[in-house]
Amino acid sequence: MEVAKTVKRVRVGWLGMVVLLAMVLSPTHTRAQTGAVRLAITRDEGWLNPYTYQTGFPGWNLMTLVYDTLFYPDANNEPIPWLVRDTRVSADGRTWTLTLRPNLRWHDGRPLTSADVKFTFEYAAKVTHSRWTPTTRNLDGVDAPSPQTVVFRLKQPDAGFRLRTLADVPVLPKHIWEPVTTVAAARAFRNTVGSGPYRVEEVQDNQFYRLTANSEYFAGTPKVRELVLPIIRDATVTFTALQAGQVDATSRTLTPELVAQFEKAPGIKVARGAGFASTILQFNVEHPQLRDVRLRRAIASAINTNLLVRLLMLGYAVVGSPGYLHPDSPFYAPGVKFEASKARAVSLLNEAGYRDRNGDGIREGPDGTPLQFTLLTLAGNPIRIRGAELIRTWLRDVGIGVTIRVAEDAAIIDQVWPDFDVCKGRRFDMAVFGWSAPVMSRPTALVDLFHSSCQLGTINIGGYKNAEIDRLGQQLIVTVDPASQKRIAAQMQQIIAQELPVHVLFYPDTIMAYRAGAYDRWAFQKGQGYVTKLSFVDAPK
Amino acid sequence: MARFFAGKGVQYALVLLFAVTLNFLLPRLMPGSPLVFLAGEDVGFMTAAQRAQLTEAFGLDRPLWRQYGIYLAGLARGDLGHSVQQGRPVAEIILGRVGWTLMLVGISLVLATLMGVAWGTAAAWRRGRPLDVGSLGAAMLLHSTPSFWLGMIFIAVFAAGMRLFPVFGAMTPGAGLHGWAQAANVAWHLALPLATLTLITIPDMFLIMRYSMLGVLGEQYIATARSKGVGERGVMFRHAMRNALLPVSTVFMLNLGYIVSGATVIETVFSYPGIGRLLFEAVLARDYPVLQGSFFVITVSVIAANIAADLLYPLLDPRVRYAR
Repeated sequence: MEVAKTVKRVRVGWLGMVVLLAMVLSPTHTRAQTGAVRLAITRDEGWLNPYTYQTGFPGWNLMTLVYDTLFYPDANNEPIPWLVRDTRVSADGRTWTLTLRPNLRWHDGRPLTSADVKFTFEYAAKVTHSRWTPTTRNLDGVDAPSPQTVVFRLKQPDAGFRLRTLADVPVLPKHIWEPVTTVAAARAFRNTVGSGPYRVEEVQDNQFYRLTANSEYFAGTPKVRELVLPIIRDATVTFTALQAGQVDATSRTLTPELVAQFEKAPGIKVARGAGFASTILQFNVEHPQLRDVRLRRAIASAINTNLLVRLLMLGYAVVGSPGYLHPDSPFYAPGVKFEASKARAVSLLNEAGYRDRNGDGIREGPDGTPLQFTLLTLAGNPIRIRGAELIRTWLRDVGIGVTIRVAEDAAIIDQVWPDFDVCKGRRFDMAVFGWSAPVMSRPTALVDLFHSSCQLGTINIGGYKNAEIDRLGQQLIVTVDPASQKRIAAQMQQIIAQELPVHVLFYPDTIMAYRAGAYDRWAFQKGQGYVTKLSFVDAPK
Repeated sequence: MARFFAGKGVQYALVLLFAVTLNFLLPRLMPGSPLVFLAGEDVGFMTAAQRAQLTEAFGLDRPLWRQYGIYLAGLARGDLGHSVQQGRPVAEIILGRVGWTLMLVGISLVLATLMGVAWGTAAAWRRGRPLDVGSLGAAMLLHSTPSFWLGMIFIAVFAAGMRLFPVFGAMTPGAGLHGWAQAANVAWHLALPLATLTLITIPDMFLIMRYSMLGVLGEQYIATARSKGVGERGVMFRHAMRNALLPVSTVFMLNLGYIVSGATVIETVFSYPGIGRLLFEAVLARDYPVLQGSFFVITVSVIAANIAADLLYPLLDPRVRYAR
């Protein structure tokens, strides 16, 4: 889905006339540059450089307005060459030779060369960053045989190299970052000289950022002259400000109950598309009872996800697929299905020997342990809390007891994902949880989510173990050919759909609202929304 | 006198040390760690060694007593440390915020005190009459109104509905204003949060002033003043109100100590960049240095206000002076 691109309505006035005249006189000239656009963001993003920005979305996306990556994800999350003109991959998939575009420059006028690229990856290996450093683990070395040529030598072929490394790591200017040698210094470093389409002009702590277009940008003049990013923490206030015309757009996705109102509001356009973030029921698969796949299937059967989508999301979501991946993901296996039914939940439980032996309405296992679980959910997320309440009701109906515990983010992480290290185990039964959109786009998503080794299954927070998944996963991460990747991912989804280590409830749609009068040339990135570099500059030709 | 001050000095020093220790311990008692804010959302993809490198860089791997020692040593040098989340010096962050908070809470405290005193005096003077009963009801209602709710109503009516005021922030983002235009812009943004906070604070002052005034009006010297022919205005202002102001001044001084702690709820509702919001965000992020630093500044200012109250009270109330 893409937002319709129309010529911006030019306001009457002499400035407008001049612009109009210019457009008439030079028909080959690109469309007029919009003056200023105010895009509300949710929180502080440091100095907007690669070591101080905070959030994966929209922080990374905004940071890439100031810095460039070698590739960049397009509207379909396919990496397209950005700083790179030409790519050659050796037959064994381990040597990547990239040719940079000519005449690339940093904001300070110095040329951007292969030495900067080489420096960037060596820097990331040395100065720890949660996103850049892991990409260097599989690197044997980076060479810069000529100013425009970069050679990446990989230890083993990498399925995600193009998207997760080349289209992800921003190139740092060597002449500026070289003296910054420690993690603490890098995290306090305020320099924002990049090569991207925008320069950071003004940073007001916790109030706003002001970026101005880099008129020398190699891919053409950015479409918006000035970009103001006000920080608004509260969702309600954000949408009120949008309605009142005090911001033109926001990185927040519109809440379901506001969609109808905003679609009718004058001057506001609503763009809607698939969302790659997920809302899931996460099982602790190591739990003595929840390790039983029959019990997990019974629980999933009792939950009416269609009704959840209608009640909680007012229909603005896609019902979860049991193989985890969104139906719009390029790796989705169309065959996987899961039908919920209360009757099936009951018969599954009966067959597995879970019966209510003492007549208290809660079934007990063969050893007499009652099916009584704690369900964790996030405070401050009313949709998840209501979802948890519905789940409790439905499970109660089939004889499974659930106690809901609402806690704030850090407290939940402490139990579900202590220290963000799945090697450290887990202390929970079930949780209404969710993963952000980028998790879905990774070719290796299923490995990250379900591989039993905590080194590979880095977000396997349920502690799921399956030998076949492990074998396929190991194969997938070294597979570079997209068709083979899809075939392996499909096999993995079949197994996950049978075993249900997580039960995906739904994928909330990405619904973005904006004031079309201020700017109407947003590009919609599938699953993520319009905060992408492509909204402000066309892909280089 | 010198002995009195020495005694007080020791007392305040002990309070400060106790508070500083609590400021250090309390944030660390919360479950969870600052790691995700230190590392970002991709912390899950890091190896254990990489994670260890990060916690080490911020000294979070050291035993608690060592961290405490480092914290105390830093305080002694006037160094509040660096924010885990932002990597910036805590002192710099607090300095950037404290002005906004002082402006919002300070002006509101003065306004609320003046209005509360006037209103409380008027109500007590007409005790039991419709003005008093009505005022009491209104004050109770206002007193029990949640501030976030009042703030949101103000936003909905005056900002979103009538579009008279901005919906968020302390100034128009990226407007690049200077001088008077900037001052006007800041005042315009201050209006709604200030009105909300003032309205919420008035009832406290009103209630104290009214009860204090009622007490004073029952005193014999009021009857004496009347009987010796002092006019009603004179009785009200010279004899009653001046004496009734004592408890209000105490509350005012106490509140003065808390003005740097900001108004978390109001600042959050109006996206106002003050200390209250900083604290709220630091709690969510488990940003220990920022929490410690903010609490320290608040502690010091509360203690300073107490000292000021101790010193000022004898000037306001001669009886305290004579008693000594």
